[in-house]
Amino acid sequence: MSGGAEAAERTGGAVQAAGGTPAVERETRGRAAGQEAAAGVRAGNDPEASDASGGLDRSLFRYIWRHSKRDQILICCVVLASLPLYFASLDLPRRIVNEAIQGHAFEKGNETAKFLVLRLQMPDWFGHDVSLFEGFDVDRFELLFGLSSMFLLLVLINGAFKYWINVAKGALGERMLRRLRFQLFSLIMRFSPEALRHTKASEVATIIRDEVEPIGGFIGDAYILPAFLGTQAATAMAFILLQNVWLGLLAAGVVGVQFVVIPRLRRELLRLGRQRQLASRRLAGRVGEVVDGIAAVHSNGAEAWERAEIGHRLGGLFDLRLRIYRRKFMVKFLNNLLAQMTPFLFYCIGGYFALKGQLSIGQLVAVIAAYRDLPPPLKELIDWDQQRLDVQVKYEQVLQQFLPERLIGLDAPGRDETLCGRLAAEGVGVQEPHGPVLTNVSLSLPLPALVGIVSDGGPAASTFARVLARRVVPTSGRLTLNDHDLAEWSGAALTRRIAYAGVDPILFPGSLRDNIVYGLNRRPPEDAAVTDAKALAEARRTGNPVEPFPADWTDYAQAGVADASALDALILDWLTRIGMGEEVYRFGLLGQVDPERHPDLAARLIEARIAFRERLAAEGHAHLVEPFDPARYNRQATVAENLLFGVPTTTALTGRALAEHPVVRVVLDRTGLADDLVTMGERIAATMLEIFRGLPSGHPLFEQFSFLSADELPEYEAILARRTATEASAERHGGSALNRIRRRWIGLGRYGSADATRLIALPLAYIEPRHRLGLIDDAFRERLVEARAELRTTLDEAGMGGVDFYDPDQVCAAAPLRDNLLFGRINQSVADAVETVTATGTALVQEMQLAPAITRVGLDHQVGPEGRFLSSVQRAVVSLVRALVRRPDLLVLDGALSPLGEARARTVLGLLLERFGRENSLVVVLPNDRAADRFALVLRAAGTQIQGPETPGQETPGQETPGQETRGQEIPAGSVASPEDMTTGAGAAAPAAAVSARAEDETGPEPARVEQDVKA
Amino acid sequence: MTLETEVQSLRQVPMFREVDPARLKLLAFTSERVHFADGQRFFDRGDAADAAYLILEGEAAVTLDGPQGPIRLALLGANALVGEMGILADQPRSATVTAVVPTTALRIDRRVFLELLSQFPQIAIAVMRELAHRLEMTNQQLAQMRTG
Repeated sequence: MSGGAEAAERTGGAVQAAGGTPAVERETRGRAAGQEAAAGVRAGNDPEASDASGGLDRSLFRYIWRHSKRDQILICCVVLASLPLYFASLDLPRRIVNEAIQGHAFEKGNETAKFLVLRLQMPDWFGHDVSLFEGFDVDRFELLFGLSSMFLLLVLINGAFKYWINVAKGALGERMLRRLRFQLFSLIMRFSPEALRHTKASEVATIIRDEVEPIGGFIGDAYILPAFLGTQAATAMAFILLQNVWLGLLAAGVVGVQFVVIPRLRRELLRLGRQRQLASRRLAGRVGEVVDGIAAVHSNGAEAWERAEIGHRLGGLFDLRLRIYRRKFMVKFLNNLLAQMTPFLFYCIGGYFALKGQLSIGQLVAVIAAYRDLPPPLKELIDWDQQRLDVQVKYEQVLQQFLPERLIGLDAPGRDETLCGRLAAEGVGVQEPHGPVLTNVSLSLPLPALVGIVSDGGPAASTFARVLARRVVPTSGRLTLNDHDLAEWSGAALTRRIAYAGVDPILFPGSLRDNIVYGLNRRPPEDAAVTDAKALAEARRTGNPVEPFPADWTDYAQAGVADASALDALILDWLTRIGMGEEVYRFGLLGQVDPERHPDLAARLIEARIAFRERLAAEGHAHLVEPFDPARYNRQATVAENLLFGVPTTTALTGRALAEHPVVRVVLDRTGLADDLVTMGERIAATMLEIFRGLPSGHPLFEQFSFLSADELPEYEAILARRTATEASAERHGGSALNRIRRRWIGLGRYGSADATRLIALPLAYIEPRHRLGLIDDAFRERLVEARAELRTTLDEAGMGGVDFYDPDQVCAAAPLRDNLLFGRINQSVADAVETVTATGTALVQEMQLAPAITRVGLDHQVGPEGRFLSSVQRAVVSLVRALVRRPDLLVLDGALSPLGEARARTVLGLLLERFGRENSLVVVLPNDRAADRFALVLRAAGTQIQGPETPGQETPGQETPGQETRGQEIPAGSVASPEDMTTGAGAAAPAAAVSARAEDETGPEPARVEQDVKA
Repeated sequence: MTLETEVQSLRQVPMFREVDPARLKLLAFTSERVHFADGQRFFDRGDAADAAYLILEGEAAVTLDGPQGPIRLALLGANALVGEMGILADQPRSATVTAVVPTTALRIDRRVFLELLSQFPQIAIAVMRELAHRLEMTNQQLAQMRTG
């Protein structure tokens, strides 16, 4: 049995296996078909991409075939086309030996032989061969060279085929990997709340990043490799069989053994591999958990426990890997042994045949050559087979995470109308794993309205708010608007019309603005055509989105503004009203001004910079600021700042790293400053050692004042000790050149260059008026200013960049806005200098009306991972403004105001109550009764019930209040409010909203959290 | 003027006379040298006590606002320490201190000073000794006033 046939059969088996799960597949296909329309919009226009947001095939091979059959077939055709040439390249050595070298072609006394005879071979029953070309007459040498050249040519052609096939295969694999990764990511977006509860972020990230990688690598080979190598091996095998049946059978026997025994041995290897995959995925998950909860680890002192835990895991992983290695190399050894055995048999038995005259020498050589070609493809085929099993297992394991039952359905088109009219809850119940949270809640609210839900301390109020916000899907009952089930609505429309701000704001790394407009990032730009046609075609081919990115996705219309600057103004207006304007202004002062993005502000900053200086002079405060002057040393700035005369943009030029920068060192050495700096460094180190000795490490005074950190003290002490030793040695042995060299050899040169670098690093942060060690004189200042110019030229010549130089007529983009305005350093040794200069600056900013532009720069402030650079109050404000700029029909606040503190929450609530209630509705979860009377309608949570609505200010709830738009009834605690009990007021006479949506589009119940809203 | 001269000035202060020079250097290094123009306030009565000042050069007047304008209580010259009671007692300034000529002073930050006190008992004892000495003086004055 040939290897190729075996491989083909296995492939067939795999395909059959794919057919073995028809039910699942039908389901998948059904889903895909049903969702084609919606998915087509999302994932591009490629019909094949329809499942980008749908399920994955249960069988890897089916998945591969469905998405890449065209490419696979094309590549297979090329493989087939290459085979005859490959056969020819096997046959040529026989002809070279037999015809040219041994001279069989010239046997009958012929001086010449025919070369390049082209004959169309026909089966015997069809007739004779058709001769196409009679060939050239050549002599023995010419024949040898001719045949050899042909052999070379064939080698080249085969190489070219191989190259093309490999590239095509690689591209195919990468495309499929891209598709698979994107699909998995799309599926994550559809995880149901239950699935999310069991999912660790770092594990899913590992799946998408690492685990599908080998799958992608395999996809390129899935069909082509067995086809290519299988046919190649079959060709070689057929060739051997044609030469000699016995040798052929012998070879086939060995191959058969290889194909039967080795995979058996490898099965165990696969099992171990699977274990390893799970173990390392869990390791990644565990590390992620520890990193996320590092604060808890520290505060509980659980470092040792965590270390032991991870150590144990690593130990297990090590054992697994070791067992895999042992097994793997055992298999390899066996494989090699079998491969090496066969040539021995060939030489032995083939030689026997040759001696007996049953086999020509040429044939023997060709057979051995052909057999040489046989093991690599066979080995690769066996590898392929193992990889197939391995990757299938991996694929199945990945699939386990993305089973359809873990996903929520796709969004379907449905109703999309203003949320106005009678919103009714009909028997709404929410069941959590630990018990019911809401049972049979029935009530109705006339929208638009201002609704407060007073919590009783339990989770009911918050859960009901989330039901209204569609964050929780009720387990029983339904929500209707004007008697239409909200499930009929399109999910996209509802998420656009309803905004929800909870107690934990979720912020993404990026600027304040990015986070606030996140809710408006819904509309792919229509006018922005993708210019890169190649990228677009690739995206289509891989089922990736074709919408342009990066691009401006902001839906300005939803925010009700015309463009980006109007949106900024709107955002700033909200931020100011909520009381974060001052903070954003300060972010702006510390922010950077990109002259390209803010050309107006950049120009005005230069203007303001000059005005600032004039104003200070007019007030008699010119001496408070020492301006940056290219030709003068700035006494109030550090040595490093004076040297660079700009702001470093790479870490290689920042802080102490400057002392190690090669260009800087060259300039320092050339100008002789290096020696001065080393001396200064010695004196600083000596002083620090003297005065900070005895302070415990980690003492705040170290952090605040010392040039050295506590753990650096011993290091610098050692450096200084080496200096003393060097100087003593120099004194003893005199200063002869020989001695100097000798001292350098034994490591007592004045300083090792490492020591010098460490010392130069110290004075870089030195400011004479501040540190007062008396290290800098006028001569040093002069030389430093010279070095400054030289450094700039040298850096420019080296073309390295890395510094944004100060220029009196330009904005320094790398420096904070405030520094650009000041363009100098405040003289700290004058009492109250900072206050005086700040006051002048503030007055100037007001006079020149720069504040709005500066505040806009503040919107570029980076919030850090999960918004950690902001305070919890700021995070809450950002989350709130994010909901507000969307202008939702219904805003649900579920604890969103509680981080603001009582007084501020009351103010913000007042502001919101003013804005909402006419066209838009506001629902706020209240922790207690105190603010309840500010709402038109009040619901009360009691156990698993929601009672109301009642209209505050009434002594006996349930009575109708004349003149008020809405009327409510209070239902006695424990009783069930039915829709019939509800009365709706005039406010419900809004246009009937007719909508449809699918319930499963929204997230299901989440674990109940007791959330408090306004403390007021 | 460098750290060394400031250390010399600190040594003139009775409170710091016994303190190890290296500690005084640390105190000087962690303090700021500030210049006050003629007539500029060090601090006003009622301000929060955030620092003590050691006058290095120049003169400063200690005043209280009276009905007929400020009443000068004392004139402080070089090597005088002012405001130390406020930072130790954590009470608002009891009087106003103003530079009467261009004056240079060493501003000893309250937080840093207390940090040094807690870290180096030697300084703390020196401060206690000085305070006890002042109390003794006050007692004597009180006794004199009673008898006189």
